[in-house]
Amino acid sequence: MGRARELVRIVVAEPSPREGGGKLGTVEALRRIGRGVRIEVVHDSAAAIELARSTADLVIVDRDLGAEGERVLAALRRSGPPVVIVTPEATADVALETFKSGAADCVTAGADYADVLPAVALEQIRAWRAKSARRAVHQRIRSLERLHATIVDHFPAALAVLDAEGRLVTVNPEFERAFLAGGAAEGRPLEGVLPADLLASADVPELLGRALSGGARSPRIAHARDGDRARAFDVRAEKLDAEGRILLVLADVTERERLAKNVRDLRGYMENIINTMYSGLVVVDEAGRVAVANPMAERILGEPRGSLKGRAVSDWFGPAADPGGCITRSLTEGARVRGAEGVVLRADGKSVPVAISSSPLVDADGTRLGAVVIFPDVSELVQLQSQVLHTEKMASLGRLAAGVAHEINNPMGFVHANLAQMEEYLGDVARLLDAARSGPECFASLAGELDAETLLADFGQAVRESQEGSERIRHIVQDLRAFAYRDDGEWVPADLNRCLDSTAHIVWTMMKHSVVLQKEYAALPPVRCHPKQLEQVFMNLLVNAYQAIEARAARDGGGTGLIVVGTATRDDGVVISVSDDGAGISPEHADRIFEPFFTTKEVGEGTGLGLSTSFEIVRRHGGTIRALPRAGGGTTFEVFLPQQGPDGRTAEP
Amino acid sequence: MSSNPPTLLLVDDEARILSALRRSLRREGWRVLTAGTPAEALRLLAEEPIDAVLSDHKMPGMSGLEVLEAAARLCPAAARILISGWPDEIPAERLEALGIRALVPKPWDDAELKRILREALADA
Repeated sequence: MGRARELVRIVVAEPSPREGGGKLGTVEALRRIGRGVRIEVVHDSAAAIELARSTADLVIVDRDLGAEGERVLAALRRSGPPVVIVTPEATADVALETFKSGAADCVTAGADYADVLPAVALEQIRAWRAKSARRAVHQRIRSLERLHATIVDHFPAALAVLDAEGRLVTVNPEFERAFLAGGAAEGRPLEGVLPADLLASADVPELLGRALSGGARSPRIAHARDGDRARAFDVRAEKLDAEGRILLVLADVTERERLAKNVRDLRGYMENIINTMYSGLVVVDEAGRVAVANPMAERILGEPRGSLKGRAVSDWFGPAADPGGCITRSLTEGARVRGAEGVVLRADGKSVPVAISSSPLVDADGTRLGAVVIFPDVSELVQLQSQVLHTEKMASLGRLAAGVAHEINNPMGFVHANLAQMEEYLGDVARLLDAARSGPECFASLAGELDAETLLADFGQAVRESQEGSERIRHIVQDLRAFAYRDDGEWVPADLNRCLDSTAHIVWTMMKHSVVLQKEYAALPPVRCHPKQLEQVFMNLLVNAYQAIEARAARDGGGTGLIVVGTATRDDGVVISVSDDGAGISPEHADRIFEPFFTTKEVGEGTGLGLSTSFEIVRRHGGTIRALPRAGGGTTFEVFLPQQGPDGRTAEP
Repeated sequence: MSSNPPTLLLVDDEARILSALRRSLRREGWRVLTAGTPAEALRLLAEEPIDAVLSDHKMPGMSGLEVLEAAARLCPAAARILISGWPDEIPAERLEALGIRALVPKPWDDAELKRILREALADA
C-alpha cells in the first residue's frame, strides 16, 4: 500500500481535546491498520462532510459529538462513504439507534477497542470500494448504451442486423423510413423488404455470403428506382459475431453520385470544347509553365501529343509570337489582353502566324492561379487579308487609270504627230542631199524652196519634244509599276515624307487640272511600317479628297480645289494629314465612313473599301485615323502612326 | 476665201501638242494662233478674225465643248473642230447641237487632220 493512490483515507469526527475528545483512543486504534492510512481529525460536521465527500473511504463519528455527529450521518446517508459510530458504552438501544440513523456499524470502546476498530474499519473500506467499482462499471455501460443508441438512431444510412438466415433482427429508424414504411421488422426476410432491383443490382445474397465467410469486403454501388427517381446506394455487409449475425449498411448516395456525374459530364463537356476548338489553348501556371494544352495547341506549335505539360510557355511565346507580352501581363497584372498578331517559330523551323489573347485564371476566391492563353492560327486570315488589300489596291488603281491614261495620251499624241513630221523632214533632207550631189546651184535653190533653216530647227524641236514626251510616259509607267507591286510583308523603317510625296505625285497626275496641291512637310524620324500599305492609305485619302472637290465643283458648277498634304511629329510618332476644301462629310455619314463597303458613290464608282481598308491598315500599324471638318469647308483626315510600329520595338536606323 | 491667209486657232493645255500642230501646219501657209488655256482662247476669239477653231476637250476650268460653244457665239462663221483622247465619251447630239464640224481622235493622223482643216478653211 505504499503508493499514493492506494492510500486509505479515514475521517475521524470527535469532540476537541478541550471538550474531552480523543479519550477513547480512536486515532491510536486506527493507526494500527498500517502505514497506508491517512487519518484526518475534525471537530464539526461541516469539515467532516466536506472531507467525506471528496475522497474519504470511511468516516468515524464519536457519539460524544452529539447533534453534530447526527448531521454528518444525515448528510452521508444517501451517498458517500460508510459511517461508523464509536461510543464509550454500548447498549442495545444505542446500537439500534445508530443503525436506524444510517450508520454502517457501531463499535464500543471497550478493552478490545484497539483490535476491533481496525478490523471493522478495514471491512467497511473493502465493502465500500467494491461497491464503488461496481457502480462505475454500470455507469460506463449505461453511457455506452446511450451512445450506441444515439449513433444507430441518427446514423445517416439504413442499418439492419440480420441473422445467419438473412432475416431482420433489428433495424434503425433510417432503415424503417427507407424500406419498411412503418411495418414490423423482426423476423422478416431481407428479400421481402428491399426492392428487387436493389437486391439484384448489389447482388445482396452474394454480399451476405461473402461477409459470412469473412471474404474481402468491398463496398458496391447499387441502383434502384424509387418511382420516377433513380437512386444509388453504397451497400456494405459486416459479420458481427460467431452466431453469424450480419450488419448491413445501405447509404443513399444518390446525390453524391449525381454530383459526381455532373462533374464528370461538365469535365467531358469542357474537354470536348477545348479539344475540338479551332484555336490553340494553353493554361499556364503562375510560374509560366504549361499545365494544360489542347491538341490544336500541339499542332500549331508542332510538338508531339502530350509533350507540352510542364514546359515554359516562353519557349514559344517570346517577343515574336507575343509582341504585346500579353501572357506576362495576365500573369503579373491579372490583365485580360487581346494582343497583336505574332509569329510562332517552331522547333521544326516553320513559322505560324497567330493572334494571341490571354486572360488571368482565378479561383472562386479571386486568387490568381495562372493564365489562359488562346492563339488561333491565322495563316489563312493573313492570306485573305493580303488578298483584300491587293484587291482594294487594284480597285484604287482602276480609279486612277482614267486620269493616268489621259496623262499618257497627251505625250502619246504629240510624239505620234512628231514622228510623222520627222518622216517628212527626213524625206526633205534626202532631197537636199540629192540636190547637193547635183551641184551648189541645185542645192541652194532647193534649200531656199524648203526653207532649210526652218526645216532644221523644226526637225530638232520635233526630236527634242518627242524625247521629252517619251520620258514623261516612262515616268508615269514607272510610278504605276512601283505602286502596283504587292507588299513583301516586311516591317521596315521608312521615310514617310517620301512615301507621301511619291503617292501624291501619282495621284496628282489625274487631278492637276482642277486641284492645287500644297505640301507642308516637317522633318520626320524613320517610322517602322509597311510602306506600300501606307502608300495605299495615302492614296485612298488623296483620291477621296479629289472626289470631294469634284463633288463640290459639280454642286457649285465648277471651280478649282485645294489639297494640303502635311506631316508633323507628335508624342512618339508622326501625323500625316490630308486636307481638302471639297464637299465635306455630312454629319449622318461621319460615324460610318470607316465601315467596310460604306460608300456614297454611285454603283461602280467605288468599292466602299477605301477608308475601311485604310482604317485596318492604320490599326495594324498601332495607329489611329480620324476625319475632322476643315475650317472653311471640306475635310481633314489625320493619321497618327507610332514611330516604333505596333509592338513597341524601336525602328532600326 | 479672203485675200489674207485664213486664220486658225489651236486650243490645248498641253504646250507640246500646240508645238507639234504648229510645225505640222507651217507649210499650209495659214496664220496659226495658239491658246494654252480656255481663257486665252476666248480672248483671241473676241479679238481676232478667226476662220476655224481646233480645240482639245479635256482642259482645266473649261471643256473643249464649252470653248466651241463660246466660239459659236463670238465667231459664228468660224468652223469648229474638237480633238479628244476619248472621242467616244462625247455625245453625238451635243456635237450636232453645237454645229461641230469634226471630232478628231487623239493621237491624230497628221494627213487626215490637215485634210479636215483644209476643207474647213476652204468652206469658211
